[in-house]
Amino acid sequence: MNRAIRLIRRRAISSIPVLLIVVVLTFLLLESASGDAVDAYLLSIGGGDATVAQSLRQAYGLDQSMFARLWLYVSSLARFDLGWSVAFGRPVIDLILERLPNTLLLMGSATALSFGFGSALGIVAGSKPESVRDRALSTGSLILYAIPSFWLGLVLSIIFAVQLRWLPTSGIETIASGKTGLARAMDIARHLVLPVAALALIYMALFLRVMRSGMAEVWTLDFVLFARSKGLSRFRVVLHHVARNALLPLVTMLGLQSAAMLGGSVVIESIFAIPGFGRLAQEAVGGRDAPLLMGIIVVSAVLVICVNLIIDLVYAALDPRVGASERGT
Amino acid sequence: MRLVRHLVRTPEGAIGLAILATLVLVALFAPVLSPGDPLRIAGRALLPPFADPAFPLGTDRLGRDVLAGILHGTRTSLAVGLAAALAAIAIGLCVGLTAGFAGGLVDEGLMRVVDAFQIVPSFLLALAFVSVIGASVPVVVLAIALGAWADPARLTRAQVLSIRERDYVASARVIGMHPAEIALREILPNALPPVLALSAIIVAAAILTEAALSFLGLGDPNVVTWGSMIAEGRNILRSSPSLSIFPGIALVVTVVGVYLFSEGLTKALAGRRLEP
Amino acid sequence: MTIANPSRRTLLQAGGLLLASTALPTFTLAQAAPAGGRLVVAADSEPKNLNPAIVASNGVFFIASKVVEPLAEASFDGKDGLAPRLATSWEGSADGKSVTFKLREGVKWHDGKPFTSADVAYSALAIWKPLQNLGRLVFANLETVETPDATTAVFKFSKPTPLQLIRNALPVVSSVVPKHLYEGTDIATNPANVKLVGTGPFKLTEYKPGEYYRLTRNADYWGKGEPKLDEIIFRVLPDRAGAGAALEAEEIQLAAFSAVPLTDLARISKVPGIKVISKGYEALTYQLVVEINHRRKELADVKVRQAIAHAIDRKFVVDTIFLGYAAASTGPVPKNAPEFYDASVPTYAFDTAKANALLDEAGYKKGANGTRFSLKLRPAPYFNETKQFGDYLRQALAAVGIDAQLVNADAAAHQKAVYTDHDFDLAIGPPVFRGDPAISTTILVQSGIPAGVPFSNQGGYENKELDGIIAKASETIDTAARTELYKQFQKVVATDLPLINVAEWGFITVARDTVQNVSNNPRWAVSNWSDTALKS
Repeated sequence: MNRAIRLIRRRAISSIPVLLIVVVLTFLLLESASGDAVDAYLLSIGGGDATVAQSLRQAYGLDQSMFARLWLYVSSLARFDLGWSVAFGRPVIDLILERLPNTLLLMGSATALSFGFGSALGIVAGSKPESVRDRALSTGSLILYAIPSFWLGLVLSIIFAVQLRWLPTSGIETIASGKTGLARAMDIARHLVLPVAALALIYMALFLRVMRSGMAEVWTLDFVLFARSKGLSRFRVVLHHVARNALLPLVTMLGLQSAAMLGGSVVIESIFAIPGFGRLAQEAVGGRDAPLLMGIIVVSAVLVICVNLIIDLVYAALDPRVGASERGT
Repeated sequence: MRLVRHLVRTPEGAIGLAILATLVLVALFAPVLSPGDPLRIAGRALLPPFADPAFPLGTDRLGRDVLAGILHGTRTSLAVGLAAALAAIAIGLCVGLTAGFAGGLVDEGLMRVVDAFQIVPSFLLALAFVSVIGASVPVVVLAIALGAWADPARLTRAQVLSIRERDYVASARVIGMHPAEIALREILPNALPPVLALSAIIVAAAILTEAALSFLGLGDPNVVTWGSMIAEGRNILRSSPSLSIFPGIALVVTVVGVYLFSEGLTKALAGRRLEP
Repeated sequence: MTIANPSRRTLLQAGGLLLASTALPTFTLAQAAPAGGRLVVAADSEPKNLNPAIVASNGVFFIASKVVEPLAEASFDGKDGLAPRLATSWEGSADGKSVTFKLREGVKWHDGKPFTSADVAYSALAIWKPLQNLGRLVFANLETVETPDATTAVFKFSKPTPLQLIRNALPVVSSVVPKHLYEGTDIATNPANVKLVGTGPFKLTEYKPGEYYRLTRNADYWGKGEPKLDEIIFRVLPDRAGAGAALEAEEIQLAAFSAVPLTDLARISKVPGIKVISKGYEALTYQLVVEINHRRKELADVKVRQAIAHAIDRKFVVDTIFLGYAAASTGPVPKNAPEFYDASVPTYAFDTAKANALLDEAGYKKGANGTRFSLKLRPAPYFNETKQFGDYLRQALAAVGIDAQLVNADAAAHQKAVYTDHDFDLAIGPPVFRGDPAISTTILVQSGIPAGVPFSNQGGYENKELDGIIAKASETIDTAARTELYKQFQKVVATDLPLINVAEWGFITVARDTVQNVSNNPRWAVSNWSDTALKS
């Protein structure tokens, strides 16, 4: 327990400079963009003359120097104030809290399903390496992992939503349906089946391969040979000895993939018209909205740090060999 | 050369090498196989595939030859994939070597920068970068490399840290070799193999990222890429699905080839290490 | 200082919270509804500012015109092509310096207050003239609006202003907003710009950002027996392919503004229960135009411009890019504006040989690799068709030895590059012809426009003769004389080619058969849909 607390504290402290670097770099990126938030806003309302632009810039503090604005943003951030979105005319935190749950739901379900099915199939494949079953699953997963997620999303949508009409084509729930509780949850679940499937199938392939290769390595190790020579049933050997140890790299993979998954949701959200985090980022860039984009990136970064922290804690719990010193980064 | 023999002995390596070799040949000889500008309007619009021998895979919305697009698209996809991976590895190697060797504050500082780039979702980063700077092939390559250099950097540094303490490095130091020379002649050749194994993954990811960026409309409009072909075919997916299917297949074959090659390479390297 | 002005921020926050609450509506639709029904429509954009009095653009009208009404709407068979809305009649004075509007009686705002001439006067003077993108041109000479009684508004102009222009502009520039909600506030940031209050057949009840707009019936609407619908839902579907799929899956019933891509129309029209309608956009003609930067030495030569015009195969553009749902243009006024259209102008047939000859004559010989010179081509990213035309133009120019490099940019960057920074050689734009050349067409070729004004002459073109014609026509009251001047205008533009008009197109509506009274006026998609009904 002490180890865990020390790990958390250390991680929290070392995250601050990292977040600072992220904020500064994002800010510099948007600075180099052609046009600022007021330009984009005026564009969306069909143009405006110079005086309107000037007064808007003054109101939003966009007429100040780059350093002044950066300082202002960072100091607000220190007070947990994510600022105001010029493009949407609302506080950034409101926008993020509105959109984030949808993406988390999408990503969470996709991760859970792909992890579960991937590990299970990986165990099946890895329990008899080089068998027909193993080769089939390996080849299948290789091809699946090579498929672009947007392409898979389109194909699934055409087959299941348009041709067969089993599932809705887009959105996160039926509009103004008035459903609550379980009925609403079922409605949202129906809408998420296709987008989650498009993502989960691809990540499942990844987890399958990692589990399988982990098992193949562990299979030849001494303690496994010992277990088998003791006459333990194959099933027990597979599950209790091999799989548990092969789980470690899988868990690491989960942490590494969390950042990729947050980014990968952009395209799926675009195809299935899900009002999520990824699309919000696209809109932030299109609107040259620095506070919104930085808010999104900061929140993503914090999420990834938290996920990695949890992974590290789980890792430490699973593998007693992980000692008091933090793993070399 | 022994490495190549090891590689070919594994079924993954053999198939992977075959696929990649074919793709490279197609990329090199595309102007011969399909002369002229692939983006030019060559025939009637929306010809179905396998109908007209002059256009074996049909034509697209504007009448451009799909086969020409696939062949020339190989160049762009491979070029972007390789260039992005090279850039990512080059940056990663430099940063990793510097951090591993210098140690102390420099190491700490560089590692925080690496953390920063690993934490931001790489696709979001590429998206923002290309949207803001403008879409052209060099910008896309840089955008993908920025998202990919962190892993090689970390890996290189880890290798440097472990190799640094070994005997032959200590002896080199005793002899009086310059640190930079030690880095280049002793450490780098031994740190390289794991990084190279990672490179295949980076190439595959780069190819898929470039396709996704083109799909979202953020590709270079002056060259033909498989991603932009899929994006164009998307609006007519119901009436002419072949326009999106063929480039999709090309993408899958390429990425599968890269993965198989990388698996074969990993096995071959592992085999080499076990040999006396 | 803080990032945003605190008081404005609170105001906006309050409005925002009201509108964007994620609390679910507490009723269910399973209640027995009268035979009104709920129409679900595809929307592809969410305008930041929904007030049509400030932003007179189609994206805003699509949603806002059901809530906020103009003085008159376009009509196929009404007098002068107009049907009365908030104004029942309009008359110009002999000297052209005043226009008298008789307003409708018994009209109430959605918040219950009565609509009077004071609202019209306020809207005209405080919003249309100073703030509206189009009103700034049409009402440039508006001095004052007299309101002798609650149902009369007299517009007084400092210079003679043609009634023809005001009439043609009414559906677009004259959306009336309530004075009692705007007076004394900062108009640009007033929450009523998003939480609209108007006199229209529908009220804006709910807006869930990223998902939908919900409009509900105005029971006190001045039109008897209208509106026929109970509810309109604008479902946000930014993905074009999504609209077609949703229509087939019966998740939406109407997709306007070619939300269903042209390539899908042949197939979707054969689906039972779906109809494809091209009528209803006659007053919203979009023009495919090649914008030229005359600061470039090569492009300043009229022979080069003529060569480029000859290099374009308009038939290919109409047949292949627009799949026949367009017409080739001959000049800046489209064919479906019979009031002004003049066919007797110089035209440029598709002739690559002639184009090559003209370029050789101009002194730009082909180099060793077949290229004469290189140009930067920026297609506007707003429509698929403009992007595809960009791809086509690149090939067409390559055929005559001009190497055009395409630049892919998003909307914000494109606008800034072309209309502010002038960082282009050729650009492809989709300006709109709105019934009268003086509204949004003459500005495309007039000189002296400051930088930063979108859809205007930012290519540095200057033609004194043309400027003279434009200025004279803006003050000519006699309809016949004015029309004659605009015919001259078309001839000069077609001869000197400040820009190249390639094609003109309207949009396509795809609807389920259950939707009735679709496309029954020339601006149907952006009109108020008070008579639209659902067959049960």
